[in-house]
Amino acid sequence: MIDSVVNVSNVSKVYGSKGENQFQALEEVSFSMQEGEFIGIMGASGSGKTTLLNTISTLDNVSRGQIEIAGTTITEMKEQALADFRARKLGFIFQDFNLLESMTVYENIALPLFLQKMGRGRVKEKVQHVADILDIRDILSKYPAIISGGQKQRTAAARALVHNPSIILADEPTGALDSSNAASLLETLQRLNEEHQVSIMMVTHDAYSASYCERILFLEDGQLYKQINKNGTREEFFKNILDEQAEAGRKKL
Amino acid sequence: MLAKLAWNGMKSKRKDYIILLAGLVMSIAIFYMFQTLALNRDFTSENAMISSMQLVFNVGSCLLAAVTFFYILYTNMFLLSLRQQEYGMFMLLGAKKQYIKRLMFVENLLIGIIALIIGIAAGAGLSQLTAELIMGQLDVTLEGYQPFYLPSLAVTLLFFLVLFFVTAVWNHIKLSRLQVLELVHAETKSDQVPQQPKKNIVTITAGILALAAGWLSLIFMESLRELGVFSAAIMTTLGTYLLFSSLLPVITNAMKKKQKWNENGIQSFTLSQLTFRIHSLKKLLATAAMLIALGAGAISGGMAFKNNAENIAERSAVYDAVVHSPTAEEEEILEDITFTEAAEYRYKKGEEYNYYLKEDLEKQRPQIQLTTDNVKRVEADLPDQEGSLEEVEEESASIPNEWSQFLTMTAAEDYSRRPLIVSNALYDDIEAEEQVVFIGKADDFLAYRDQWAKLDELREEKLASSEEVMASTSKYSMYENYNTIATGTVFMGFFLGIAFLAMMASCLMFKVLSGAAKDIPRYEMLRKIGVPKKLLNQSVFKELFLVFLFPALLGITHVLIGMNMFSFIIVNPYYRIWISLLLFTTIYVLYYLLTVKMYKSVVLPEEK
Ligand SMILES: Nc1ncnc2c1ncn2[C@@H]1O[C@H](COP(=O)(O)OP(=O)(O)OP(=O)(O)O)[C@@H](O)[C@H]1O
Ligand SMILES: [Mg+2]
Repeated sequence: MIDSVVNVSNVSKVYGSKGENQFQALEEVSFSMQEGEFIGIMGASGSGKTTLLNTISTLDNVSRGQIEIAGTTITEMKEQALADFRARKLGFIFQDFNLLESMTVYENIALPLFLQKMGRGRVKEKVQHVADILDIRDILSKYPAIISGGQKQRTAAARALVHNPSIILADEPTGALDSSNAASLLETLQRLNEEHQVSIMMVTHDAYSASYCERILFLEDGQLYKQINKNGTREEFFKNILDEQAEAGRKKL
Repeated sequence: MLAKLAWNGMKSKRKDYIILLAGLVMSIAIFYMFQTLALNRDFTSENAMISSMQLVFNVGSCLLAAVTFFYILYTNMFLLSLRQQEYGMFMLLGAKKQYIKRLMFVENLLIGIIALIIGIAAGAGLSQLTAELIMGQLDVTLEGYQPFYLPSLAVTLLFFLVLFFVTAVWNHIKLSRLQVLELVHAETKSDQVPQQPKKNIVTITAGILALAAGWLSLIFMESLRELGVFSAAIMTTLGTYLLFSSLLPVITNAMKKKQKWNENGIQSFTLSQLTFRIHSLKKLLATAAMLIALGAGAISGGMAFKNNAENIAERSAVYDAVVHSPTAEEEEILEDITFTEAAEYRYKKGEEYNYYLKEDLEKQRPQIQLTTDNVKRVEADLPDQEGSLEEVEEESASIPNEWSQFLTMTAAEDYSRRPLIVSNALYDDIEAEEQVVFIGKADDFLAYRDQWAKLDELREEKLASSEEVMASTSKYSMYENYNTIATGTVFMGFFLGIAFLAMMASCLMFKVLSGAAKDIPRYEMLRKIGVPKKLLNQSVFKELFLVFLFPALLGITHVLIGMNMFSFIIVNPYYRIWISLLLFTTIYVLYYLLTVKMYKSVVLPEEK
C-alpha cells in the first residue's frame, strides 16, 4: 500500500537484558496508519503507550518485528541515519513542552530548519506560516519563560510542524494544560489534520482528548486488543470511548 | 527519622555531592598549599631574590582569600539548591521549620568539616608532590620548605571554619525568610528569561579606566614601589570584574545577533546557550581571568628568573670558553664542542706583564662587549713597537682601549699582570715559557653545560697548584652562581603558579559541572528531534571553548603587561616567555578537554 504512512508489524519490546528480570512491554503489536489519519493510542498506565510511541519515533529499538514509516523500514536503520530520519520525517510534541528557554519562540520553531541549513528567507517564511496557523504570531520574539502553558504547547506544535514531517507524534500533549487550553490545542491538531492533511499519532489516557481522533487503538499489558473508529459526531465517539474504558474496567474486576 | 530521610536524600544525589565536595576540597587544599609558602617566612626570606617577597605573599593571600570566599559562597548556593526542594517537601508534610533549619545547619557544618579534613590532607600531599616535582625539574634541593606546616594548618582551619560558619548562618537566615512553597518550587523558578544586556557605558568606562590604572601600575612598578603592588592588585582585579560583567553579555549578544552565525545549524542553540548562561558566568569568568593572570604570571616570573641566568652569563662575557695552555684532557673536552668562533693567542708571562704576540692578535681580531647590549669586533690599530722591551713597557698605557679591555677582561688568567703587545722579534727574546690562550664561542652555550663545568673543574685544579692569586671568573661560573641564588625564587614562582592554576581549574570546572544537570533535558530534547550526536558534540565543544577563551585572553594580557614588573631585576623579562605561555596553554587546553569530557558525560550519556 502506498498511502499508509506507518506500518507496524508484529512488534515486541522486552526491557532488560537476558538473565535479569525482563519485562515484556509490547507483545506482537501490528497495525497500520493511513496518510492523513489522526490516531489515538489509549490504555491504562503502564500498558505500553509510551513504549509504542517511542519505538515508532525511532527513539527506542524493538526486540522483534518491523516498523515502516513513509516507505522506510526504520527498524533496520543505524543510529546516524535514524537521527537524520527523525529530523526530516518526524515531528514531536512532548507533554512538558520541552522548549529551549534560552531561545525565543521564533528560534525554537525555526530550530529544525536551521539544522537543515535552510536559507534565512525561507525559514522566516515557513515559521510565519505555521505561526499563523497556530495563532502565535504575536509572541514570536518572546522567550518561553513568559508565555502561557497553552502558548508553549502551540509553540511546540509549531516546531513539530514547521519542516513538513510525514507524521506528528505526540505523547500526552495536553497533560500539562488546563481544560480550555487543552481543548484549543486539540482543535488545532484536528484542524491541522483536516485542513492540512497532517498525519498525527497521539498518546492519551483521557477520553475527552481521544474523542478528537478518528481512530483509537487500545493497549492492555502490551497487547493491542481493540480499536474503534469515529462514525459520527465527536460526542458520540466520546461516549463510545467511555463505554470502552468502562468495559475494560469491568473486565479487570 | 527526618535526619535519616535527609541522609537518604543526600545519597540519591551522590553525584552532585561529589562535585560539591571535590570543589570544597580543592579550594581548601590550594589555600593550604599557598599558606605553606606564605607563612614560612624563614624559607621565603632565605630564598627570595626580591626584598619585598613577603609583601607579594601578603597581597597574594588577600586575593586568594577573596577568591576562596566567593567560591565558597557559590558552592553554598549550589548546596542550597540541592536541598531546598526536599526540605520544602518535608515542611509541606508537617516538619517544623525550626527542626529543618537545625538539620540544614548541621549538614552545612558536617560537609565543611569533612571537606576540611580531606582538604588539608590533600593540600599537604599536593604541596609535597609539587615541591618534589619542581625541585626535581630544577635539579636542586631547597632546605626549609615544609609541606606539613603547623601555622599554615592553623590558618587554613581558622579561615575555613569561619567561612563555613558564616555560610551556615547565612543559609539559616535564608531558610527562615523563604516560604514553604517557594522552597518546593525552587527548581522550576530557575527558568528565567535571558536578560537583554544594557550597554552600560558607565561600567564599561570604569572598567577600562581601572584596568588602565592597574596596567600602568604594573608597568611603572619600579618607581611606584609598594604602592604599585597594591594599586596593581586592586585596580587590575576591579577592572577585570567590571569589564567582564559589563562587556561579556554585550559581546555574546552581538554574536547571537549576527544572523549569519546564529541562524546556521546547531549554532543557534550554542549561541543562545552561551548568552543565556553568561549572566551567571561572568563573575566567575572574571575570577578565572585573575587566577590565570596570577598563575601564568607566577610561572612566567619563575621561568624569567631561570632564563635570566643565561642572559646574565651572556652579558658577562662574549666567549664561552677561555682555556690557558690546554692540557690533553682539556683538549679532549674542547673537541666535543662546536665553536662558531675560536682563536688561540700565544703569550709569555713576565714579572709584571703578560707579553702577547702581536701577530696572533692581528690575525684573529676578537670581539669585545662595550656596553650590555653592544658587542663589537676590535678595530683599533695595534701599537707599533720600535724600541726595546723597556721602552715598550714604559709606553704600556698607550695600548688602545679596546685591546686592553680584551686582554685584561677575557684573555688574562690573572688580573694581577698588565698586558703588553709585542712584535715577533721582541717576543722571541723574552725568556719565559710560551703560553697559549684558547678562546671560543660555542653554537649554544646552554647545550654544553656539562663541558663548561668540567673545564671549570680542571681549571680549578690547575690554579690550585700554581701561585696565581686573582683568577678571573668564567662565564659558566657566572651562570651557575646566578642560578643558585635564583632557584628559590624560581621554585616559589612555579609553586604558586601551579596552586593558582589548580584553583582556576577547580572554580571553572565546578561551575560548569554544577550547572550541567539542568542542561540534560535540553540535550535530550535535541536528540529526540533528530539532532545528530556529532552536532551536539560540536555544540558542547564550541560553547565551552568560548567560555574558556574569554578569561584566557584577558589573563594572558595581564601577564604580558605584568612581566614589566620584573624589569628592574631581570635583564629581559620577556626572554623566552613563549615557553611559559606554551606551557600554560598546554595545561589549559588539556583542562578544557577534560571539562568537555566530563560535561559531555553528564548531558550526552553514551547509548548502549
Ligand atoms: N526503560 C525501561 N526499562 C524497563 N521497563 C520499562 C522501561 N520503560 C518502561 N518500562 C515498563 O514498561 C511498561 C510500559 O511503560 P510505558 O511507559 O509504555 O507505559 P504507558 O502506557 O506510557 O503508561 P503511562 O500512562 O503511565 O504513561 C511499564 O510497566 C514500565 O514499567
Ligand atoms: Mg506514558
